[in-house]
Order: sequence, then C-alpha cells, then structure tokens
Amino acid sequence: MIRTFACTSLAAALVALGLAACGSDSGSSGAAAGSIQIWEGYTGPEAKVFAHLVSEYDTQHPGTKVTSLFVNNDNSLQKVLTAVRGGSLPDIAYLYGSWAPNVAQIPQVVNLTKTVSRPGVNWPDFWVGERDVATVNGKVIGIPALVDNLAVVYNKTLFAQAALQPPQAGWTWDQFSADARRLTDAAKKQYGTAYVTPGSEDTVWHWEALLWEAGGQLLTAGNKKAAFDSAAGLKALTTLRTMAVTDHSMYLDPTDSAYGNLFNSGKIGMLVTGPWDLSTFPNAKYGVQVMPSFAGASGGHQTISGPDNWVIFNNGAAHVTAAQKFLLWLTAPAQVRYFSLRTGDLPTRQSVTDAAGFDQQMDKALPGVSTFIANLGNVRQSRPQIATYPKISQALGTMVVSVLLGKAAPQAALSTAAQQVNQILANPNG
Amino acid sequence: MTDPAAALRRRSRPASQARRRLPRAAEQFSGWAFVTPGAVIILLFGAAPIVWSAIMSFQRSNLLSPSTPYVGLRNYRQLAHDPIVGQAIQHTLIYTILFVPGTMLVGLFLAVAMNRKIRFISVYRTAAYATMAISTISEALVFIWLFDPSYGLVNYFLSLLGIPQQQFLNSPTEALYVILVMTIWGWTGFAVVIYLAALQGVPQSLTEAAAIDGASSWATFRRVTLPLLSPASLFLAVWLTINALQLFDEVYLSTQGGPLNATTVLVYYLYDQAFQDFNFGYASAIAYVLFLFILVITAIQFRVGRRFTHYRS
Repeated sequence: MIRTFACTSLAAALVALGLAACGSDSGSSGAAAGSIQIWEGYTGPEAKVFAHLVSEYDTQHPGTKVTSLFVNNDNSLQKVLTAVRGGSLPDIAYLYGSWAPNVAQIPQVVNLTKTVSRPGVNWPDFWVGERDVATVNGKVIGIPALVDNLAVVYNKTLFAQAALQPPQAGWTWDQFSADARRLTDAAKKQYGTAYVTPGSEDTVWHWEALLWEAGGQLLTAGNKKAAFDSAAGLKALTTLRTMAVTDHSMYLDPTDSAYGNLFNSGKIGMLVTGPWDLSTFPNAKYGVQVMPSFAGASGGHQTISGPDNWVIFNNGAAHVTAAQKFLLWLTAPAQVRYFSLRTGDLPTRQSVTDAAGFDQQMDKALPGVSTFIANLGNVRQSRPQIATYPKISQALGTMVVSVLLGKAAPQAALSTAAQQVNQILANPNG
Repeated sequence: MTDPAAALRRRSRPASQARRRLPRAAEQFSGWAFVTPGAVIILLFGAAPIVWSAIMSFQRSNLLSPSTPYVGLRNYRQLAHDPIVGQAIQHTLIYTILFVPGTMLVGLFLAVAMNRKIRFISVYRTAAYATMAISTISEALVFIWLFDPSYGLVNYFLSLLGIPQQQFLNSPTEALYVILVMTIWGWTGFAVVIYLAALQGVPQSLTEAAAIDGASSWATFRRVTLPLLSPASLFLAVWLTINALQLFDEVYLSTQGGPLNATTVLVYYLYDQAFQDFNFGYASAIAYVLFLFILVITAIQFRVGRRFTHYRS
C-alpha cells in the first residue's frame, strides 16, 4: 500500500512538475520587466559579434537583461506564428523583410512610426530600400537589421584567360552577354554565368532587378494590376533567355546550392549575387562590379535589395519600452559600424559609410565588399509591400524558369504570368 | 429464526467488498497517474493538432491575424479546381507506385545476397544499413552532384555508353525520377534490415526439405522462402507507402518542387501553401485529403495483403 501511494504521488508530482515547466516556458511576459528576449539567427562571426554587443549593452544598462535565443532565420516566422497562438512571443524577433506585409497583420506587432521619428534616431539615415521594407501601408513595423544587394562577382583569372577586359562600372547587358559567351568553354565545362532556377523568390528577384533597369515596373501604381507584361519585361526576359537557351553560356542551378562551389572552382565566369557569397569564394581570384545596364533604357544602373527587420512584439508597456531602447541602441551608428567591420555585413546606415577609411577597412575584412556598399546607392525601388507578394512571386518564378528551360517563349510566358498575377490581385483570398 | 451462516455472509459482504474496493481505487488512481504524463503529451502534440487542423480546414486562416472566419467547404471545393493539386496528386501517386516496389525489390535482393556466411559479412550489412544512418541533407547533396547535368558522374557514365547528356533535375520530365532514385537509395538499408531479420527466421528444415524433394533453388525461394517473408513484405509495403505519400525532405532540399512544379508532391504543396502563402486553412484541407488517401490505401493494403500473407504460428 505504502509503495503504491509513494509511486502514485511521485507520478503525480512528475506531472505537476512537467506542467509547471511548460508554464514557466511560455513567455517572457512572466519575466521581470527589465529583461527582454530576442530571437535571432546569427551564426559564425555574426553570432560572436552580436553576443558581444548584447553583453556590452547589459553592462551599460544594469537594470536590463537581454537574453537572445537562436532561431534559424528560415524558420523564425513559423515559430513566431506558433508563439502568437501560444501567447509566448519574444520581445524582439529578426524577421525577413519579404514577410513584412504578412507580419504587419499580427496584432501584437508594435507600431514604431513614432519611435523612429524621435530626435536622435535619424530615420532617413537608413537606406531607402530598408525603410521601404520596414514600412507597411505607411506604418513602420520594424527597424532595419540587415541590408544587401545584387552585383556582379567575376573571376579575374578566367577573364584574363579569355583575354577579356574586366567589366567597367558603365557596362551594359550586351557586354555581359558577350563576355559570358567568350567565357563559355564546353570542353572545359566552363560557363560564362549562372542563374538559380528553383522558381523561388531567389529566381524572381534577380529578374526583377533587370526589369527595373530596363525601365519596367512589376505592378501598376497602387498595386492594382500587373505591369511587367511590357517592352521592359520582354527585354529583361529575352536577355536571360539568350544566354540560357541560345548561347548555352548560363549554368542553370535548380538546387540553388551548386553555383557557389562552381564559381569557387573556376567553372563560372560571372555571378549576379550578393555580398553574403563573397566569403565562400576563397579559391577564386574575384572582382566585384555593379550590375550592367540596358543601353538606352531609362532605368540606368539599378539593383535590388532584400533587407531584413527587427520586429517588436507587445508583451506589456515595460517590455516594449525596454525593447525599443535596446533596438535603438543596437541600430545606432556606432554599433552598426562595429558590427559591419567585424562581420563584413553591409552597414544599415548611410552615415557609417561616409566615414573616411571605412570602405578600405571593410575591403580588408571582406575583399570586394566596398562595391556592394557603393551599390546600395543604386537601390532605388523595392518589391511591392503587399500580403499577396508570395503568390505573385510563384507565378513569376514559373515564368522565368519556363523561359530559361526553353519551355516557353518570353512573350507567351509574360502574358500567362500577367494573367495569373491579375487574378491574384483581384482575388487576394482565392 | 436466523441462519447463522447467512448472517455471517450479510455481515461479511460489505467488509469484503470494502476491502476489495479500496485497493482497486488506489491501484486505478496510480495506474492513471502513470499513464497521465504520456497521455497528456500524446493529446497535446498528437490529438490536439489533428483536431485543430480539422477545424482550420473549414476556416480562412493565415495564423497571423486573429480573424479566422468559417468558410464551410470552400477550401475543399477550391482543391477540386486547383490544377497544381491535380499535378501534385499525380506526382505523389507515380512516385509511390514506383518507390514502394522498387525499394522492396532492391532490399530483398541485397538481403538475400547478404543472408549467408561469407567473410566480412558484417561489413556489408553495416554498409547497407548506413544509407539509413546518413542524414537526408547529406544524401540530397551527394545526389545533386551525382546528377548534375554538366559535372555529375551519372552523365559521365552515360556518355561512356554513348547516351547523350541528360538534364536530370533541370528537366521537368526527369526530376521526379532522380528523386525516386535518391529516396530508394536512402530507404534500402531499412528494407534490407527487415528482410534480413525475416530471412533468418526461415527454418532451414523447410528449405532443406524442398531441396531433398528436388526443388531447384529458384523454386525453393519462390515457393518456400518468399511466402514465409510475406509478413515482412506486408509491413514494408504499408510502412513505405505511408512514407512515400508523405515525401517532403528530398524535394525541399533538391528541387523545391520544381522545375515547373514537376516534383511538387502533396506534402510539399501543403508546406508551400502554409508557410510561403500563409493559406493555413487551405493547407489543412490538403492535409486532410492526404490523410484520407493514406487511410484508404493502407486499408486496401491490409485487406489485399492478408490474402497473400502467411503467418507461421
């Protein structure tokens, strides 16, 4: 009898403990107001530098304790969605900019419009592309956490072997295509350039940069209808098609993972890619140049940026205040400069780049990155900030891939995609 | 007037009942207490999501905004008109029909080959099972390179045979079959282990008796060994089918459903709808259709399988 009861109470105690443990896990709302929780996905040097900044903040602000939890960036929205339902949201989360219009629908997201207009924040110091992505329907829902853009990374050795001049800042897509042809050598299995073809947003945004350069627009003003079924859209798509289908100078990568290794092994002459790839090319002697423009087009040299945001969730006024205070500190020029110099990430603030010697210091940390920094000035527009963008992106992804695989003619693919996009815009819940 | 024995019975009955009831209640309580943690976990992480996704499949829900209006059967009706759902079902079925027998045949072949006493047999067996131990992500990366159109070994060997370069993962007609090969390779170890265990259970006396009766080794295998393996085969068929219908990892890692939806299977499309497009209601409806699919197919397998399965007892 005694044994039975002992076991019973033990089991009951275990249950109680388990439930208690679940309870205490569920949310920072139970924690002291002075402590805030951040979800971020930094790894490698970024993680180290971020941890250093957090501990520095803690020492400077004895009343506050900032704890950070690693959440893989790709999964952070999934986890945030779960936390919304469980009432266990973090105070701050690192979220991809492409999610912003959807994130804005979460009721707990704190409106930062007034916060960023406070004196001392200097909101216009953030690049226009960043501010666009942090703003949904005129409401600021995040503070820029990261900025990047696309430029051309080329292999200097392959250019020399092909007796080609390295690309100049004023180059055109015709030159790019011609260079790609010259750099292609079927016998050596060497390609002029590469394009990622999983049909995801990575496929799409490369094309969108070309569309803007050709003077085109994705949607009409007010995001009412598709506008890319235009001469500019056709020019952008045909340029890519010529390389992929006619010249066979473009390596198509459906896995989105092979092109980097191939460039590093000297199998690809030029890549249109972002600064994040630079550190993965230790074996290639590479140079960086801005994207070519279309001769005679109104767009000039442009690029596209995919900034990410720090988003604050409402866990009570005290938490919100503490979270805002921390974020404004983290994204102030001194910290942005510190973070960029040690990680090679592009500075999220323009003023940081103006300091004398900054570019050289950055180039020493990550060769070629200064071109990406300068290229931030070529980010003149951003993708439409609407909740249906992921669906639109899928239609565009299919369009680009079908043309590059030679399965559809550019004009036909444009018309089909425009029709689909119009349908999505007309019936957002369909 | 009284029957002393009856009086004794009357008096003793409540006492004995009480004695019996007391330990039973305590035992019951402790039993429940032991079961509770497990039951709570199962209910929380198993049953609750199942019920919740059933509810969500009748709602318009993006999990972001608190407004989740009920839309009746709208999500299910939309399924019928969605061309990609049709394609996804087709891809899932083609894949399953080829994957299940393919894995079983390769597994059976290797298991029979390894069911003997030869040198280094444990090395071979370990090697066969290693395909199960290798993580899906490494498996996918290796196959991506093997099947790379320009640099892959597969195209190199095909070129030695005079077969022209294939596009594999770049080709809408070939990509699904590359994923098929990839997953058969990955699951072979599992099938080998199950078949090896079953083969060890085939009594030698039966195969010897067949041999003495003059049966050829093929006839012995066909008429004696294979029927005795039938419980293992049924288990594998059901298990592999359920897994095949839930194919996701390899698609996510290698083609992301492409090119041009050629490898979009049901679970991948569900993921796409839920986590790319935030259509959680619609994704839940797809999940329920898949669930019905699996239920019906498994039921058929058990029913048909029972006719061909011989249990020794």
